[in-house]
Amino acid sequence: MTKDIIAFWGYPHPDLIKKTKIQYSSAKWVDLDICYNYPSSKFTPDAYCGIIKNIFDNAFYLKDRIIKIIAAVGKDKCDSGFFAANLLKQEGFDIEISFFEETLPLNQLPDVPICKSSLPLKEKLSLITANIIEQKNYSHLVQTKARFGFWGVPPNDLNICDLFPSQTHVFGWSRCVEAKNPANFELEMFVEPDLPTVFFAQTFCSKTALAKYLADKYNGLYIDIDVTPSNSAYAKIEAFLRLR
Amino acid sequence: MNDSKYYIDAGTTWTKILEILPIGERKYSVYPTNQARKFNLNYEKITGHTSDKNSNKYENEVVALAMGAKAHLENNFIALDLGSRDVKWIKFKNGKFSDMDWNSSCAAATGATVEMLLKFYDVKVEDLKFCEEKYPVTCGIFGLEKIMDDVSKGLLPSIAISKFIHGIAYNAYNFTKNPDKICISGGFCENKCFMDSLQKYCEVLPLGRFVLVDGLALRP
Repeated sequence: MTKDIIAFWGYPHPDLIKKTKIQYSSAKWVDLDICYNYPSSKFTPDAYCGIIKNIFDNAFYLKDRIIKIIAAVGKDKCDSGFFAANLLKQEGFDIEISFFEETLPLNQLPDVPICKSSLPLKEKLSLITANIIEQKNYSHLVQTKARFGFWGVPPNDLNICDLFPSQTHVFGWSRCVEAKNPANFELEMFVEPDLPTVFFAQTFCSKTALAKYLADKYNGLYIDIDVTPSNSAYAKIEAFLRLR
Repeated sequence: MNDSKYYIDAGTTWTKILEILPIGERKYSVYPTNQARKFNLNYEKITGHTSDKNSNKYENEVVALAMGAKAHLENNFIALDLGSRDVKWIKFKNGKFSDMDWNSSCAAATGATVEMLLKFYDVKVEDLKFCEEKYPVTCGIFGLEKIMDDVSKGLLPSIAISKFIHGIAYNAYNFTKNPDKICISGGFCENKCFMDSLQKYCEVLPLGRFVLVDGLALRP
């Protein structure tokens, strides 16, 4: 089978993306963080972060087509990203590690028009992740006054986003990605204190500690979801948005 | 023609119905859910685990609890609804929603389990008395194992189930983040053993079984 895929996860360093694009100009880029419903590789324990499970499942399913994997392993991703890179290397993948840890002060960051736009939340998060490889200018998007906040990484199952109104602003790591500062902890912890915000993290992800801390501090809703949301998770978010 | 308006809380085991007659009189009733399903009532609003969540008449259970409890209570309260298969609570501070949680993932230690235990051991609910000791029921299955072990050693089933219920009360107290007072909604209001067990930890106010249907009737 022809190898035609450059795979990646997280937010690889833009210089590395640029270099790889020149080197493999006709390759297709595939974000391994995303769930494509490929068969389970059963590589990790059951109790493991759903996003990292996606990385393994996607990588093994696409193994024959993957030229190389650009693996984010720095503070811009997580320890599990580092482990995944090394384990996949042991399994014969060509791994190029990436650190994207440069940060800017909050007042020097670029604007985040997607996070503050009137697009539905699902579209906002999809655009933010798509923009990692195919950078486009979204400054034309209509901006909206926030009624709610969504803090966190793009969920494994984006369907929970349908519960939120379009006047939902995005915070946390997703905002960091749009601002091209995926390792900016100060930005990751930034929220609007009086804005009712849902603090989301994947179950078994260490970002659950941040989400819980911020939810307690700002009287928001903490929620962690594994692979797909339970009825209870849907109901809690729905009730929070209705009652706040 | 029946001009009454109906509000329904279709729980897993029991269905609570509020009928508001044209003259404004309110009638409350409770039926086993498998029986109530056959009524085919033309209702205004519905909530509860067995209701159709895609219906435009469906109301989120926590929202129904919040509205119903708010109508009964002052500006600051925590209302806990302990059902057949789930437990949910809501906190209002200065008249505004402040906090909530809803655990429907594990139904091992809620009303349905207690009803099954009573049937299995042929014990009447009136025979249950507060027990100073409790079983840990963080996992209901382990709790059941403790009951079976102790009964096999000669403990009266009514005492073993009372210890289990004490464990549920302790869980409810922890789940609501250890408040000074909890207002209880749902069938456990009528379970003296549960109410006495919870009183060991905080002040307890029973609200009855119809808080959610009252909440539905308040919604436009």
